[in-house]
Amino acid sequence: MAAPHALPDLAAPGTVDRGRGPVAPSDRRLPAPGKVLGYLVLVVAAAALLLPFFWMISSSLKTANTVFSVPVTWLPESPQWGNYAEIWRISDMLGWLKNTVFLSVVVTVLQLFTGSFAAYGFAKARFPGRNLLFVVYIGTIAVPWQAYMIPQFIMMSEVGLTNTLWAVVALQAFGAFGVFLMRQYYLTIPDELCEAARVDGLSEYGIYFRIMLPLSVPALASLALLTFVTTWNDYLGPLIYLRDPDLWTIQLGLKSFVSEYNAEHALIMTGSVLSVLPVAVVFLLGQKYFVEGVATSGLKG
Amino acid sequence: MSTTTVGGPRGPGPRSTDPRGSGSRDPGSRGTGANRTKRWYKARRSLQGVSFVLPNFLGFGLLTLGPVVALFYISFTNWNVFGTAKWVGLDNFTRLLKDASFHTALLNTLYYSAFHIPLTLALSLGLALLLNRKLRGVAFFRTAAFFPYVTSIVAIAIAWNLLFSRDAGPINQILGLFGVDDPPGWTASSDWAMPAVIVVGVWREMGYYMLLFLAGLQTVPPELHEAARIDGAGAWQRFRNVTLPCLRPTTFFVTVMLTIGSFKVFDLILVMTNGGPGQSTLVLSQYIYQKGLVENRFGYASAISVVLFALCMAVTVVQFAINRRRNA
Amino acid sequence: MRHRRSRWTAIAAAVTALTLTATACGADEPADSGGPVTLTMSAWSMKTTPEFAKLAEAFQAQHPDVKVEFKEYDATNYDTQLTADLAAGSAPDLYVLKNLKNFITYQAGDQLLDVSDVAGGLGDKVNGLGNYKVDGTTYAVPYRQDSWYLYYNKDLFAAAGVTPPDKTWTWAEYEQAVAALTTGLKTAGSPAKAAYQHVWQSTVQGLALAQTSGADLVSGDYGYLAPYYRRALQQQEAGAQVDYGTATTNTLQYQAQFGTQQAATMLMGSWYVATLIAQQKKGDAQSFQWGFAPAPQADAATKDNPVTFGDPTGLGVNAAIDEGKVAAAKKFLTFVAGEGGATALASIGITPATLTDPVTKAYFGVQGVPTDELSRFSFTTHDTRAENPVSPHTAALQNILQETHSAIMSKSTPVDEALSQAGNRARTEVLESR
Repeated sequence: MAAPHALPDLAAPGTVDRGRGPVAPSDRRLPAPGKVLGYLVLVVAAAALLLPFFWMISSSLKTANTVFSVPVTWLPESPQWGNYAEIWRISDMLGWLKNTVFLSVVVTVLQLFTGSFAAYGFAKARFPGRNLLFVVYIGTIAVPWQAYMIPQFIMMSEVGLTNTLWAVVALQAFGAFGVFLMRQYYLTIPDELCEAARVDGLSEYGIYFRIMLPLSVPALASLALLTFVTTWNDYLGPLIYLRDPDLWTIQLGLKSFVSEYNAEHALIMTGSVLSVLPVAVVFLLGQKYFVEGVATSGLKG
Repeated sequence: MSTTTVGGPRGPGPRSTDPRGSGSRDPGSRGTGANRTKRWYKARRSLQGVSFVLPNFLGFGLLTLGPVVALFYISFTNWNVFGTAKWVGLDNFTRLLKDASFHTALLNTLYYSAFHIPLTLALSLGLALLLNRKLRGVAFFRTAAFFPYVTSIVAIAIAWNLLFSRDAGPINQILGLFGVDDPPGWTASSDWAMPAVIVVGVWREMGYYMLLFLAGLQTVPPELHEAARIDGAGAWQRFRNVTLPCLRPTTFFVTVMLTIGSFKVFDLILVMTNGGPGQSTLVLSQYIYQKGLVENRFGYASAISVVLFALCMAVTVVQFAINRRRNA
Repeated sequence: MRHRRSRWTAIAAAVTALTLTATACGADEPADSGGPVTLTMSAWSMKTTPEFAKLAEAFQAQHPDVKVEFKEYDATNYDTQLTADLAAGSAPDLYVLKNLKNFITYQAGDQLLDVSDVAGGLGDKVNGLGNYKVDGTTYAVPYRQDSWYLYYNKDLFAAAGVTPPDKTWTWAEYEQAVAALTTGLKTAGSPAKAAYQHVWQSTVQGLALAQTSGADLVSGDYGYLAPYYRRALQQQEAGAQVDYGTATTNTLQYQAQFGTQQAATMLMGSWYVATLIAQQKKGDAQSFQWGFAPAPQADAATKDNPVTFGDPTGLGVNAAIDEGKVAAAKKFLTFVAGEGGATALASIGITPATLTDPVTKAYFGVQGVPTDELSRFSFTTHDTRAENPVSPHTAALQNILQETHSAIMSKSTPVDEALSQAGNRARTEVLESR
C-alpha cells in the first residue's frame, strides 16, 4: 500500500539524517575555576544525596539496640561485620533475591515490550477511539491503588492467580506508565520518518521494529530502569498477593524481620544495604544509554 | 475528546494526528474504486493500530481497568469487603462535603503539591541538564542522584527524621550557625512537618524525574544548538528557544506524572510522620487508606478516591490544553 | 460515541458483578468426619513467634487425629492480608484475632462462626472471654491476655537510692519516685532517665480509659484523658523522661531504652518479659536486675486487684469452614483457651488468658523470668480492661485519638483544646454520621 508520493528530503530510512552530528554541548569547555567549583557543588550534592544510604551502612554495622540512640552515632564504635554473615544464616535472603530478580526481570521485559508496542499504536497509528482509550489509560494512573486493590485481589483470586509470582507480574507488567512514557517519546520522532518508511514499503510492524525501537533506546532505558527499580522495591503488591514464604520478595522478607515485639534493626539495615546493591549495579549499567548520539547510532546500526 | 495531539517539536508540517491526514495524502482518492481502496486502507490501518495496543490492553483492561471501574461503582455503595455492596446513591459524596478531616486532607494534599511539583520539576530538569554532559565521573553522579529513589523508604524516613531532630539534629545545628536561635521542630511540630516532608519528597524524587528528562534530552538535535550559537544566542536563550521546545513532550509527561504522583503521595508521609503531628500532614491517599483498609469502609474510601481521581484528571486536562496551545 | 459508551457500561457491569458477587467459600475439601482432619490456621513471623507451633504441638500430643497447618501472614499487615483472603474465600479454617479493634469487622461481616458452646464449656477462669460476646453470642475465644505492667530496673533504683515500687503504688507515689529518681540518678552520675514513655497512644490513653470511672471510648467525651496527659507533659518538662519529639525523630525503641539501661522505669505490656529475657541472653540488652510491678493506680482503693489494660489475642473459626472440620476446630479452640494451651504458652514466657496455679508455675519456671514476690503478684492479680472496647466505632475513634495523642505530645495543641476537638470530631465524623 505504499503509494508513490514525494516528501522532500526524506527518501529512505537509511539515509534519513536528523542532523545528529557528533558535536555535543559538552564540547564547550568550562573555564578551569568554574569547572572546579562545579565539581565541588556536585560532590557536596552527591554527599547530601547519599547521606541516608550512609546511615543505612553505618546502622548495618551496629548491634540491634544501638541503632537508635540520642545523640546519633554516625560511625559505630565496634563495627559488627558479623551482621553481613548473620543475615544469610538466619534469613532466606537467597530465595528472596531469586524471587525478586525473577519478578523484576519478567515485569521489565513485559512492560518494555507491551508498553512500547501499545505506545506506537497511540502515537503513530490511527484507529477509532484511540484518544479516548489513551485518556482512560492515564485516568487509571490517577486512581490510588490502595482503594481498588481488594476488588482486584478478588478478581485475581477468581482466576487462581493469587499466591503465585505471576500474580505480581500480572499486576505490574501492563501498567499505563510505560505506555504513556513511550508514547511521549515517539511523538518527538517526526511523522515524516514513518511516512517515508511506508513509502519504502515497510509495514507498520516493520516501522516499529526497525525504526522506532532503535530510535527510542534512551526512553526504553529509562523505562527499563524505572520499572526494574519500582518492581524491586515494591512492597504493597507482593504483600497483598504473596503468602507462601517461599515466594517472598526481598522487601517482603526484610519487613518480616520487624515483627511486633522483636526488632532486629541492625540486621534489617544489613539486608536493606544488600538489597540496594544489585539495583545500583543495574543503574550504573543502564545509565550509559543516556549519551547523546545513541539514537542516531541506533538508526545506523 | 481529542486531547492527544501532542505533536513533535518540529513545528508545522504534515502531522499524522491530523484526522484528515491519511485521506489527503492518498493520491488514489478519486472515483468509487479509489474510495473502496481508501476505505480498505483505513480499515486496515485501524486494525493494525488496534493490534499494537491489544497485547497491553488485554492485561491492562482486565487487571487495572476492571477493578478501577468496580471502584467507581463501589463509591456509590456501602461496602465493607464482606458480602454484597448496598447501593446508597450519592450518600458517600454528600457526607464528604461535611467531613472536616477530608477537608484537612484535601488542603494538605494541595499544600504538598503546590510546593512539591514546581520544586521537583525545576531541580530534576536542572540535574538532567547538568548531568547530560560528558563529565568525568558522570555515571557516579547520575547514580548518586538516583540513589534516594532506590534507598529503602523506611531507612530514608529514619535518617531524615534524625537529620530533622529538634535539639541534636544536624539541620538545626547548621541553622544555629546562621544565627537561628529558635529553630523549627520539623517533623515533631505541626507547623513545620509539611515543609520537612516536602523537602524529603523533592529530594527523593528528583532523581527519578531526572532520568526521564535525561531520556528526553537525547531527542534535542545538537545541530539546533549549534545553529543557535552561530546566530549569537546565549546559553539562556538556547535553553529557552531550543532545549525547552524540543523537550516539550517529555516535560508534559513529567508534569502529568508528577502532578498525579503528588496528589497521590502516600508511603513517604506514612513512614515520615504518619500524618502527624495531629493532622498536620494527613493527605488524601492516607485518608483513603485509613477509611478503607483500617476501618473497612470501602464505599467511603472509594468515594474519596473518585474525588482524588477527578482532581488529578482536572489538572491533567488543563495541562493537556496548555500543551496543545503551545504546540499550535 | 453511543455504542462505545454502552460497550463500556457493559464491561463495567460485568466487572462489578464479577467482583461483588464473588463471595467467600472456603476450601472445598470433602470431609469425612471419622478420619484424620487437617485444620489450617493463620500465623505470623513464625521464626520469632513460637506460640503458634507450641500450641499446635501441645494440642496434637492430645489429639493425634487432628493436624494443624499454618498459613503465615505478615505481622504488621496481618489484618489487611487476612481481610483480602477472607473476601476472596482463601482464608484458613481458624484465624487469630490479633487485636480487639478488628474483631467487630470480621464478626459484623459474618466471617466468624458461633462458638458459644466452646465458650460455655470454658468456665470463668479465662480472662478477656467476654470481649468476644456480641448480642449474647460468642464468636471467638482468647488464648493470650497481655496486661500492662510497670517495668523497673532494680540496679538503677539502688544507684539512685530510691525505694523500688511495691504493689500499692498510686500515681502520686509514682510521681514522687520519678522525681527522686531524676535527682538521684543525676547525683549518681548515671545518664539514665527516670522513665521512658514510648510514643504509642496506648501508653497514656490505655490506663486513662481503664482506671477512670465512667470513662467511655464511645461517649465522645475525652476529658478523662486530661490528667494523664498533664502528667506525661509535666514529666517531659522536668526532664524525667525523653520528650516525645526526640523519641519520634530518633525512632527510639523501647526495647533499647529499657534494655540498655537508659530508663529506670517503663510502662509496657507483658509481652516484653519474654523479649527482654531473650535480648539479655543474646547480649542485645545489658544484664541487670529487673522486675515488674502493677501499673500505678488512681488511688489505694484498687490495690488488692490493680486495674490495668491490655487486649486479648483471640482465635476464631472461619464461617466458611468445611462442615466436617467444625468439631475438630472447636476442640482446638477449647484447648488453646483452656489450661492445656495456657500451660504450653506459659512455658515459653507468654501470658495466657487462663491463669491457674499450674500455669503460673510454668510461667515462673521459665529461665530469666523475675521470680520476686511483686512480679508474681503482678502476673497473677490484676483487673485487665480492654484497650479497644468492642464497638463498630472503635477503629475510627482510636484513629482520632491517635492524631490527638501526637498533637498533644508534640505540644502542637494544648491538652484541653485538643481533647475537646477530639470530642467534636468523634461526634461529627463517627458517632453521629452513621
